[in-house]
Amino acid sequence: MRFGFDEYIHLGSPLHRWDPRYKLIGLLALIFAFSFVSDLRMLPAMVVVTSAAYIISKLPVSFMLTRLRYPSFFLLAVVLLLPFLSGETIVMSIGPLDLRQEGLVAVLLIATRFLSILTIGLVLFSTAPFLTTIKAMRALHLPAILTDMALLTFRYLQEIGDYLHRMETSMRLRGFGERRFSIQGFRILAWLGGSILVRSYERSEWVYKAMILRGYGQAESLKGEFQASYTDVFALGATLLIAAGFVAGDILI
Amino acid sequence: MHIPDGILPASVCAAGYAATVPIAWYSIHKIRKGGDPRENIPKASLLTAAFFVASWIHIPVPPTSVHLVLNGLLGVVLGHFAFPAILIGLFFQAVMFQHGGLTTLGVNAIVMGFPALLSYYIFRFGNIFRKDSNIIAGVFGFLAAFCAIGLSVSIFVVVLITNIPGGFDVSTERAAIYTLALAHVPLMFIEGAFTAFVAVFLRRVQPKLLVRA
Repeated sequence: MRFGFDEYIHLGSPLHRWDPRYKLIGLLALIFAFSFVSDLRMLPAMVVVTSAAYIISKLPVSFMLTRLRYPSFFLLAVVLLLPFLSGETIVMSIGPLDLRQEGLVAVLLIATRFLSILTIGLVLFSTAPFLTTIKAMRALHLPAILTDMALLTFRYLQEIGDYLHRMETSMRLRGFGERRFSIQGFRILAWLGGSILVRSYERSEWVYKAMILRGYGQAESLKGEFQASYTDVFALGATLLIAAGFVAGDILI
Repeated sequence: MHIPDGILPASVCAAGYAATVPIAWYSIHKIRKGGDPRENIPKASLLTAAFFVASWIHIPVPPTSVHLVLNGLLGVVLGHFAFPAILIGLFFQAVMFQHGGLTTLGVNAIVMGFPALLSYYIFRFGNIFRKDSNIIAGVFGFLAAFCAIGLSVSIFVVVLITNIPGGFDVSTERAAIYTLALAHVPLMFIEGAFTAFVAVFLRRVQPKLLVRA
């Protein structure tokens, strides 16, 4: 089981070289500024900024398309339902269904915000090794309990995923059919879930001992791990200005 | 039951984060109070990964199949670690699968995490009867997950329906709330039964995994 997280970290774009701490602050500010936008006239600017960030990151378009596979179901539901259910001003009637203006506006707003935020999120987490991004969060004073848990969870996610895959394969080979619902089959699936928990718990005891032997819990300094240049600071300032521009623009227009 | 980016206004996203911070702080405070957190972090982390993976198990509900939420079971096994675990799980889901979102992480953490904490207290309440009983573990496991999903669905539906831009008329809004809520009732029973079976399994195989009073 592979997540394809660090597939494009070698591309060497300016966004790849940006200090992860500054990148986190800057792009998260941009993401939140996008979620603030509620005026349709701000949407073209949002699309331009998002496209520019994606082009600068050098990430391939095919990468974004594969990442859109799951959320496309949500988009489809929004596009199909909202124009007919939301609002009062009827623009057109198709048989028994009324197409409403407020619903159409909402679809445009939601879809653009959604795609822009998703794209900036991809740029944020695909232009640096994931572990570096988590370390940057710790350097920004996120509680150590959260960052340590995130690092360890990420470390073992793949292995436990592979374990589930092996267990499901061996269950099928032994004749377990999961297509029909039965209490016995349901109980076996619960035991499968339980055995994943037990195995992970037992593994964690060994992991803890190994971590203690390697000095886990000693005061650890992240100084020197990240070093920002003037370019990083300038890029942060520019991104924050753009984010502030979206918020101000939405309020003033 | 994950609200994606772009659908909620910024004020609601900010309120979600504002509500998440004190609950996360409370959980971390309780974890630190319960002894050396270093020892429990590897356990909680591997179990978080295990929960993440266990939620991929398909439960056949003809003509389709469903994935479980497992926030009730998380509370039953992880106790105060449940909220940080859900926060991390939601973050991974948003970043890896674009399921949920970064701006809605706070709201989704409340939808999933607050009921998980509640389920921890429900299951712990069962310990005042008999700690070594399979029936008690099963009954309170069921109740913990049933209530967790019920509360999650209630918060999810109210947040989603009341914040759709453009707005619904009253009758559509009411119909949407009833439809969404009713659609999740079978899931409440499935999650409850699944958690009951897992709680009994864990009590037999590795009782240390279940939360204690």
